[in-house]
Amino acid sequence: MSKRPNILFINTDQHSWHALSAYGNPYLHTPNIDQLHRNGTSFRNSYCTDPVCAAARSSWATGMYTSETGVPFNGGRLHAEIPDIGQVLNAGGYRTVHCGKWHVPGRDVRESFETLYYGRHNIAAGGAAYYDSASTHAVANFLTTYDSDEPFYLQLGYIDPHDVCEYLHNHEEKQIPNPIAQGIVSEDALPPLPENFNYDERETVLHRVCRRVDNALIHARILKAVREWDELQWRYLTWNYYRFIEKVDAEIGRVLDLLRKTALHENTVIIFSADHGEASGSHQMFQKFTLYEESVRVPFIIACLGEEISIQKARFDETHFISGVDVFPTICDYAGIAPPEAVQGMSVRPLAEGKDVPWREYAYIESNYWGRAIVTEQYKYITEYKPQETVDFLPPGPDAEHLGVAQLFDRHAVPSETVNLADVAAYSETVEACREKLFAQEAELRRRHIVHPGAQRIISNWGERLNAYWTHGE
Amino acid sequence: MNDTTPLHWSFDYNQGAQNPEFAQELLKLLRGYDTSHREAADVVRHVYEVLPNFWRGYKRATPHEKTLRIGTAVIERQKDDGNIWNYSVRYENTTSGEDVRLKFRCSDEAYRPLIDKWRVDTQNSGDDVYSSLTYDGYLTLNAEIRLGINGTEIIAGIVKNALPLTCNWALFDVIPALADTVQRSALGIDIALLDDLEQFRPKNRLGFLESIHAPIPLDGYYLYGTGVLPSYWWLDSYGNIAIVSSVFETLVLKEKTGTLS
Repeated sequence: MSKRPNILFINTDQHSWHALSAYGNPYLHTPNIDQLHRNGTSFRNSYCTDPVCAAARSSWATGMYTSETGVPFNGGRLHAEIPDIGQVLNAGGYRTVHCGKWHVPGRDVRESFETLYYGRHNIAAGGAAYYDSASTHAVANFLTTYDSDEPFYLQLGYIDPHDVCEYLHNHEEKQIPNPIAQGIVSEDALPPLPENFNYDERETVLHRVCRRVDNALIHARILKAVREWDELQWRYLTWNYYRFIEKVDAEIGRVLDLLRKTALHENTVIIFSADHGEASGSHQMFQKFTLYEESVRVPFIIACLGEEISIQKARFDETHFISGVDVFPTICDYAGIAPPEAVQGMSVRPLAEGKDVPWREYAYIESNYWGRAIVTEQYKYITEYKPQETVDFLPPGPDAEHLGVAQLFDRHAVPSETVNLADVAAYSETVEACREKLFAQEAELRRRHIVHPGAQRIISNWGERLNAYWTHGE
Repeated sequence: MNDTTPLHWSFDYNQGAQNPEFAQELLKLLRGYDTSHREAADVVRHVYEVLPNFWRGYKRATPHEKTLRIGTAVIERQKDDGNIWNYSVRYENTTSGEDVRLKFRCSDEAYRPLIDKWRVDTQNSGDDVYSSLTYDGYLTLNAEIRLGINGTEIIAGIVKNALPLTCNWALFDVIPALADTVQRSALGIDIALLDDLEQFRPKNRLGFLESIHAPIPLDGYYLYGTGVLPSYWWLDSYGNIAIVSSVFETLVLKEKTGTLS
């Protein structure tokens, strides 16, 4: 690689790791993202930092965890003093270009990037049906007319399959008949019910209050609707979800086809990932917000369609834990720019090149401000902090006194996460070891007080509801 | 037409958050066009208003507009002396800011197979670098779909399965022409689509859903395929697609001139 490469970060939204045909899923067809897999390294243990759009994206933008960024949920705001990837690359001599979804509240994408396309009214959370095709048009025009020697960083944020959220919202107000009974789709065309549709009810209070109880904090109206669903309707949800993924796969295909036809492809690194996943019936859950695998494990591929850049191709990295915080330092590494000192992530570039480098032993994930998870080679540990009576708006951690319910899953024995071992005496040392990892990771964080009034209100309101549950139960 | 009759689930997006109400808008539009219009004309023209199915996030042309409209679709076609249908379609969306104009030609067959070259011009009204794009395409003799953008040509797909390839915007004529065939077929029929003349969807199923009598007599059809979410197409008694609804938007016929023959 003689000159600094172009870097293309393609991201999808709400795209679970398992939802790619290259990874063995027979119920959808993703020939174009599969093409990235064939031309790059896929990481099996890749996790978002926080399973909701704005939070996860704040980590992409800063290389920091969400208790550091100020965006520990969708209503947060990125702290003004934290530099974003656009600013850092710009200062390092890159042309920084954004197209599509950004969704990092508190940071105007137009101030950090040249925007190819950001919607007539600025893209918010959803609306793939309107925006994704236009994003492809914008990138098609960019790639086929680029004639500068200046290297570019282009981040292309597709919204699908996030529009599965609209499919779900449409059930809030009306009964949609069983599609099999309607004769629209045959039953044998539907994916099976997930093997973890039935779940272990020993879940964190945070999860119960946010996602399970009658007046759940997040999307209670959808919850009410899906409680009436039969098995076929759950399977039809997944069937629809896969069509959304195929839709965005086709958009990505056109970008890759065009890139391949230009001279740019030889010297362009492509990073592909998603902000978070989709439950799609697993644990009888929908959308994201949970710390289960379907919600937090996402694709992460580093690829190049040419040969100038050293990347091991058509290979799975089976062992290394990748986090959303790694996107920022990986991009900096390829650009030859030192990331800011506060960045938590690590460059994945050496791993894509097949090098043996020191690496983290676990993934750390946050959720809904109080939720935490540690993923090790064998175990997944999920826990929560109890809201404190006196709210200081400093994201919690490390704090043994206020830990709530724990969940422990053996990733080898029961990968479906349906048997909670946390209360089994034989696993008490494992739980303790995971807790130590949690606290060690949190001790490294530069947690900042949440200062935005709207975000503070969310913390106060959610905290009251959680405390009420802790005191009185459901 | 009765305002109190619930809308069919496939186009009922009266979600409470919209102002004015979705149902009122839809019914007002359905009342507005002359269903019996059957005068022959050189150019057959259907105009659809685009209503949002989203619970939020859609954008109107202006924030205070007293309509739910988030766009317009205009489909014009004219048969030339060589029995070729010449289509001109404009789809403007106030949420995306894109104004897309498509021109294509089809044989005079029920499936409206694409022939010759086609062309798409887009314009973006947003304040971004991307302001416009033109791409053109054609089908090669060995069934490759080729697209050209700024001098760069790619293969958008290969029509392998001998299915007729048409454009999604020609379905406004294909479905009326094949309505009886589809209704007679228990499983529906398969069709290949080139969505917006750029995205190849090799296999899609078009089937009959049901007939309804309110708000007006309509026959419903469904369409889905690889990368194609189900959409529902409602045909009125005069051979017009009156409503098309997907997860995202509902097109409602606002006006028409001319009649297909």
